Amino acid sequence: MSPSSTRSLGPEERTALAGEYALGLIEGADLTAFDQQLEADPDLAAAVERWRVHFAAIDATAAPIEPPAALWSRIETELATVAQQAAPTSMSSVAPARASRPAAPAASRLSDWWNSLFLWRGAAVAGALATIVLAAGLLNALDRARRQPVMVAVLMTEASVAAAVVNTFADGRVEMVPLQAIHVPEGKALEIWTLWDRAVGPRSVGLIERARSTHLRLDQLPLGKDQLFEITLEPATGSPTGRPTGPIIAKGTTAQAL
Amino acid sequence: MAMNTVVPPKATDIETALRDCASGDKLALKRIYDAEAARMIGVAQRLLKRRALAEEAVQDAFVLIWRHATRFDPQRGAGLTWIYAILRNRSLSILRDEKRTETTDMPVAEETASEEDDPETVMSKLSDAKALRACLETLPPQRRGIVLLAFVQGLTHGEIAGRLKMPIGTVKSWIRRSLISLKECLG
Repeated sequence: MSPSSTRSLGPEERTALAGEYALGLIEGADLTAFDQQLEADPDLAAAVERWRVHFAAIDATAAPIEPPAALWSRIETELATVAQQAAPTSMSSVAPARASRPAAPAASRLSDWWNSLFLWRGAAVAGALATIVLAAGLLNALDRARRQPVMVAVLMTEASVAAAVVNTFADGRVEMVPLQAIHVPEGKALEIWTLWDRAVGPRSVGLIERARSTHLRLDQLPLGKDQLFEITLEPATGSPTGRPTGPIIAKGTTAQAL
Repeated sequence: MAMNTVVPPKATDIETALRDCASGDKLALKRIYDAEAARMIGVAQRLLKRRALAEEAVQDAFVLIWRHATRFDPQRGAGLTWIYAILRNRSLSILRDEKRTETTDMPVAEETASEEDDPETVMSKLSDAKALRACLETLPPQRRGIVLLAFVQGLTHGEIAGRLKMPIGTVKSWIRRSLISLKECLG
């Protein structure tokens, strides 16, 4: 049963679907469709909320586990990292009117800005535009035949801001170009990973101490369409485990350049 | 366990804190953390089985709570369910996506759950005061077990079918019918 047709379903089916969603049983494309449906259908959203309230009794049976002392400071570090990372200079040019929420105190303008969905959408558009401008600039400035990327991956932050692009070229070179300043705390570095096969797992292809253009070392690694690239925050010497351990700064998959 | 007797703060405290988060008050986020982090790790641990992943889910959840606090709308639901929905979504993403950072060959979902997370054990811990318990009791034990497995351990239809050696279609229709019965009972 496709969630896109929930309005045409009987009340029982809608109830069951809302319950399945609250249980976490809706996956993949159905989940995306259901999430969109929720935005547009307050009755369905209310049905989901009622299930959540009931199922909260089950969460209440989980035995509490005292958090390690470091957890809160990890959260604070991440808040500081993402806040600084998300300070592109083009923001003023894309600032649309705020949503019609009650006005927040003036002192909170920064967080207000940070939390504005509209701004993020604007920032995403700005990021995408920046990608295009950048790609166009590359194409004009350099020898077209040699330099035109075969594939491009735009790495987005969780807030859908384009943070970097990965370009792959016909001669096998792969480069990453940041589009945003990314704050890297003392003693940390940005590590770039690629994943082409879940069975093999992610492989490190670069480690940089700050956001800058860099060649990625794919060497003998496969490279194809829909291949995942991501940037994580790791210790300055790279991930101790050889796998991503820190927060994901941005990620994206390759697509064929036209 | 003594911790079990700690009464969670009133939902209104969480909602006040969320409003303060929305206006940029980090201390308000810390208040939510102090009140809920231990329970949240417990919930995430049941889903993710590994402590490090559970802590990662809680860390991510707090970043998301902070970031999306302006989108919290008290008209549409309680602050506490909003926070736990964020945690649950994040935990399920990690659970289902986490082969990405898999360091062992065994998917998280196949790790043995603690006996504490067994459906009937969870059932016995459900508060008598909650309508959910009485309504779950009206379902045949295997059917309520499936609903609890899905919620507590975050199993998919396919994983439940595999574990119980049942056809996936049967699992889907049992869950659907169980939810409809539950809704009738819960009103």
